[in-house]
Amino acid sequence: MNRSRLSLLLALLALTGVAQAADLVPLQIELPKPLFAGTPRPISLPNLEKPRSGKRADLMVPAGTVNLSKGKPVTSSDSLPVIGELTFITDGDKSGTDGTYVELGPTPQWIQIDLGAPAHIAAVAIWHFHSQARVYHDVVVQVSNDATFKTGVTTIFNNDDDDSSKLGKGKDQAYIENYEGKLLDGKGATGRYVRLSSNGNTSDELNHYCEVEVHGSLVK
Amino acid sequence: MFAPALRRWYPLALLALLALGLRTHELERRSLHADEANQAVKTGELIEHGFYAFDPRDHHGPTLYYATLPLAWLRGETTLATLSETTIRLVPALAGTCGVLLLFFIARPIGFGPAFLAAALMAVAPASVYYSRYYIQETLLVTFTLAGILTAQRWWQTGRPTWALATGAALGLMQATKESAPVFILCALATALLVARHRPATPHLGRDLALIFSATLGVAALFYSSFGTHPAGLYDAVKTYTFSSARATGTSGHEKLWWYYPSLFGWGKSGGLVFQQLAFSALALAGAILAFLTRSLLLRAAAFYTLLVLVALSFPPYKTPWHAVHLVPGLAVLAAGTITLIAWRPLALTATASLLLLQLNQTHLVAFLRAEDPRNPYAYVHTSPDIRKIRALAAAALSAQPNGTIRIISEEYWPIPWYLRALPTGSVGYWSTPPTDCDGALILTSTDLAPTVRARLHGDYRESFLGLRPGFLCVVFTPAPPTTP
Repeated sequence: MNRSRLSLLLALLALTGVAQAADLVPLQIELPKPLFAGTPRPISLPNLEKPRSGKRADLMVPAGTVNLSKGKPVTSSDSLPVIGELTFITDGDKSGTDGTYVELGPTPQWIQIDLGAPAHIAAVAIWHFHSQARVYHDVVVQVSNDATFKTGVTTIFNNDDDDSSKLGKGKDQAYIENYEGKLLDGKGATGRYVRLSSNGNTSDELNHYCEVEVHGSLVK
Repeated sequence: MFAPALRRWYPLALLALLALGLRTHELERRSLHADEANQAVKTGELIEHGFYAFDPRDHHGPTLYYATLPLAWLRGETTLATLSETTIRLVPALAGTCGVLLLFFIARPIGFGPAFLAAALMAVAPASVYYSRYYIQETLLVTFTLAGILTAQRWWQTGRPTWALATGAALGLMQATKESAPVFILCALATALLVARHRPATPHLGRDLALIFSATLGVAALFYSSFGTHPAGLYDAVKTYTFSSARATGTSGHEKLWWYYPSLFGWGKSGGLVFQQLAFSALALAGAILAFLTRSLLLRAAAFYTLLVLVALSFPPYKTPWHAVHLVPGLAVLAAGTITLIAWRPLALTATASLLLLQLNQTHLVAFLRAEDPRNPYAYVHTSPDIRKIRALAAAALSAQPNGTIRIISEEYWPIPWYLRALPTGSVGYWSTPPTDCDGALILTSTDLAPTVRARLHGDYRESFLGLRPGFLCVVFTPAPPTTP
């Protein structure tokens, strides 16, 4: 009797697991074509990061996850960028060519996307600038329901290892920009606003964004 | 308030101040280019050890290094560690300012106003300002060329042997500045032969030519022999042509198409930034046409000289943007000549003011706002501002491990030796391939060598990135702090 109950319990657990797995689907990110903007300058090509063999590992997200940030309003610590518009960040164009990215000033700068309503964040994909091998410093991505990011802040990525941006020390790894963008796990964070911060890059002191995609689902 | 004579020169003094101000304002603002750093370290060794030996393979002439000595002494900088970026860059800055004044005196025969305008256009020219703030030989070479043209002009007109000697000295300084000097000397000579309407005024042509030749050789020999302390430098001064000709015609990574130099004076958009000198170039082109319609000797000379230099620079595949400074004086004279021919004064004044403002705006963009931006055509293969962080990283590393070693393991690492010049001797080493023992208080390596270095490290290290220059990244390994139980 006890043995049959145990079997029934195991069967139920297995079925639940299958049901949960069935809810998860690979997140589909539309990638721009690899861009090698013609710079005949004598840069050291062997120094570029070795391309990864094969496809990037899928990030599993709940079924029904959509790009919530497309066309959503963007604000920034640099409200008047010299080059580009803040709207470029959510316009869907991640090609990285001239006229598709916004350039913010030096020192730590942030951009903030208003999703319009609180949402479960499944993933954030970031394209800072990918026509050249470069690394953006002190990249921090946070989610909150507070537009001022003073309360209820969840940090989903932070590679500011010395707290130079005053957003707390982070242990995430720095990464070299490429056409695939940086795909971050939303870690189940919930919030209406997504704020991304950076502090210059290895080529200049400026901060750039081609595109940011926030994938998730609105809180019902 | 001022006597008439003084009032006449008062604007020139103001122009010199403007030129000096543009060339010396915040000289430490831009990080050091690899070429600048390389030469600055060489100068530091001359200051510290009092010895210099000409390197025929990878370096140009000695005047840049020797010209830095008095400035370093005046500023109390007696070692490589104390030598500052301001001091080294003051050398081309002062030379560039002198160049502006020299151009005024060269152009004086076309009148005070046009000569003043030509000098003003050179004073605010983007290329001239940018490379007057850049510790390389090019601005010095332009200034010595202008000095040579001015003195030769005076000698031709007066026949005085002192002007012949001065011409020889200027040519000698040109040769002692850069091995490409003969190109500009030949262009100037060809121009003189093409436009001169009479023979030189001297009754002793042979004697004066001998004076010019011996002064040229004497001055050049003084510098290349390190003022007599390194006679082998004289042989190397000739031997250098085997290396420089190979560089000019071979594969160096600096090959560009023939229209590269004209394009620097045209219009270009990169990453949302517009770099253009269309008005200046259009007026200069008009000046070149007018030179042959108006029979103005000086305008003709400027047109011929600029064209010859342009052809000479454009012919070899090797091209770098700093050579553009050789075109600026001629273009400035031609543009000034065009404006001067505008008969209606209000239009001439408006054109002058507009042209100067346009050029100033571009200079502000290239030399100050975006001085190290990869989109700036003059910021050629420039160091990333990121590199300045290396000092703080090194200081923190040696503070944590006072007897530790800083290892720079990279195929390319300039200008890092400049930024780490004040570190204690023996605390920093440079490798172009990974050594067996890679551990240290701080390890900086190229991303290409990073996997090998990483495999040879023992213990825990944190990794971060540092940009050497656009497209060339370095991985920084910092010993991880001990974890608290």
